[in-house]
Amino acid sequence: MAYTTYIYLLLFLGSTFLLYTVFPKKYKWIVLLSASYLYYILASRVWMIIFILLTTISIYIGAIWLDKINDIFVSVKKSLDRQQRKELKEKILWQKKCVVVFILFINLGLLIFLKYSNFLISLLNISILEQFQISIPLIKLFLPLGISFYTLQAISYIVDVYRGKYHADECLSRVALYLAFFPTIVEGPITRYNEVAYQLYEGHSFDYKNFTFGLQLILWGMFKKIVIADRANMLVNYVFDDYLKFSGLSVVIAIIFYTIQLYTEFSGCMDIVRGSAQLFSIRLPDNFRQPFFAKSINEFWQRWHITLGSWLRDYVFYSVSLSAPFKRWSQFVKKHGNEYVSKLLPASTALFFVWICNGLWHGASIKYVMYGMYYYLLMMLGMYLEPVFMKIKNAFHIQNQNKFFQIFSIIRTILIVNIGMLIFRADTLSSAWHMLVSCFQGTMDIPYMGLALKDMMIVIMGVIIVYIMSLLKEKNISVREHIAKWHIVPRWTFYLTGLMIVVIFGAYGRGYDIVSFIYAQF
Amino acid sequence: MNELLDILKDLKPGVDFENEKNLIDDRILDSLDVMNLTVELNDEFDIEITPLDILPENFQSIETIYQLITRLQEDN
Repeated sequence: MAYTTYIYLLLFLGSTFLLYTVFPKKYKWIVLLSASYLYYILASRVWMIIFILLTTISIYIGAIWLDKINDIFVSVKKSLDRQQRKELKEKILWQKKCVVVFILFINLGLLIFLKYSNFLISLLNISILEQFQISIPLIKLFLPLGISFYTLQAISYIVDVYRGKYHADECLSRVALYLAFFPTIVEGPITRYNEVAYQLYEGHSFDYKNFTFGLQLILWGMFKKIVIADRANMLVNYVFDDYLKFSGLSVVIAIIFYTIQLYTEFSGCMDIVRGSAQLFSIRLPDNFRQPFFAKSINEFWQRWHITLGSWLRDYVFYSVSLSAPFKRWSQFVKKHGNEYVSKLLPASTALFFVWICNGLWHGASIKYVMYGMYYYLLMMLGMYLEPVFMKIKNAFHIQNQNKFFQIFSIIRTILIVNIGMLIFRADTLSSAWHMLVSCFQGTMDIPYMGLALKDMMIVIMGVIIVYIMSLLKEKNISVREHIAKWHIVPRWTFYLTGLMIVVIFGAYGRGYDIVSFIYAQF
Repeated sequence: MNELLDILKDLKPGVDFENEKNLIDDRILDSLDVMNLTVELNDEFDIEITPLDILPENFQSIETIYQLITRLQEDN
């Protein structure tokens, strides 16, 4: 049950909203939790709910266990002297580590087994077993809906309790709702317990502003997904599935269209998700902040899939960079290395783990690992060659505030991102390389690319609208707030026109394929 | 405080650390800078900054960083 279908929007979301509104405030969470599990069953298979229940129960028990260990320390620490306190603290820390490792082993182990075991078997077969002419057969596995998203949320909760950021929640229903909330289960955003769980659980009365703003967001997301992304998908599939037939400008167009498709689809889905939550007066974190205005790759990743980036920063980057072996490594590099390199080497080592995880999170294949490594290498180049870039800028008297330099930086980032998107979309690395090379070969002619001129014009018009909206948002102008102040007649005329545009220009029905969300497969 | 100021100036030359109050919110320090800073602070002040201490409010200004160092030294 995709978020763009009438079944979801009118039947599922509509009836959940009605029930939520009429239920007493104290019991509104029951509506959300029941709807979330019903959604999970309808969108997946009945028995797959076992996996999300296992994660829920394991982190619930694990977090309480961690708190109990902490309580023991707090209750006796005042009666101990300094040395005894230190010894007990170390003992407690060891016990907490054992609990958190055990819980991570269950949840991460399940994710790794279901998502990566065939990838690992293939690697083993190719790298070692092929020489002995034997191979391990691949296992037929199902991937539970949203496992990559809810597992990361579960890890963030248990690790935060372990780090003492907040106490374990004794309310099982709240933990369950946090992990299974139906708008976020398919594609995120990857939320944090302290930001979202209490909002979900406490009942909210009907709020007209939140209701209309939620509907606006859903409509805007629908526009991006079914007017732009699903149309762009036709051209992208046509070229990428038969890439040997194309060269020159047509390949460049296909790559740009894929970037447009992925952005409008993923950010459109996030708008539908956030809009769905806002109907219930629940605010979810934003996953995008005008990524194509970024002036560097670093900045791009602070604006694209923000919740994944911040998760990797908090639970991979800081965990690695502040770990004991890593501290020893940093000190070793500082003592024995060149001053400049020793400053950068620790950060570049920690970032390596972040980008390996980023690549692997997107999929179990070498292609996704290389996708992560592509960005890692570019960031390393940026870090290590910064003095060279500074010298060049000084030689040409280029200031960072210079408008032309800023535009150049934005275009450079867009170019780099498009090459990244090519790696992401192409079937294999060699086909990505072939397509990249073919951009510089062939002609400027544009053959038929699977999309009629009328559809191509609709995509271009749609992109212009998205660009204008992004530009306004970048300048902190809230179009939604402006429209909300309009008189009721022009306001609702505007909303209904938007709805008509989505209904009329949406790429569905005869001649169009229903396109699943790309990020739903991760 | 002067020792801390030297470390900060060395880490990010050209920033007015004495007066800047929103180092994180204004994106003057990013996660890489925070990480490099923690490595330096751990060494210089003989403290142990853990992931739990990596909160935006602890790194917003030279004063908050100093408060963090003092707290961790007292904990030791």
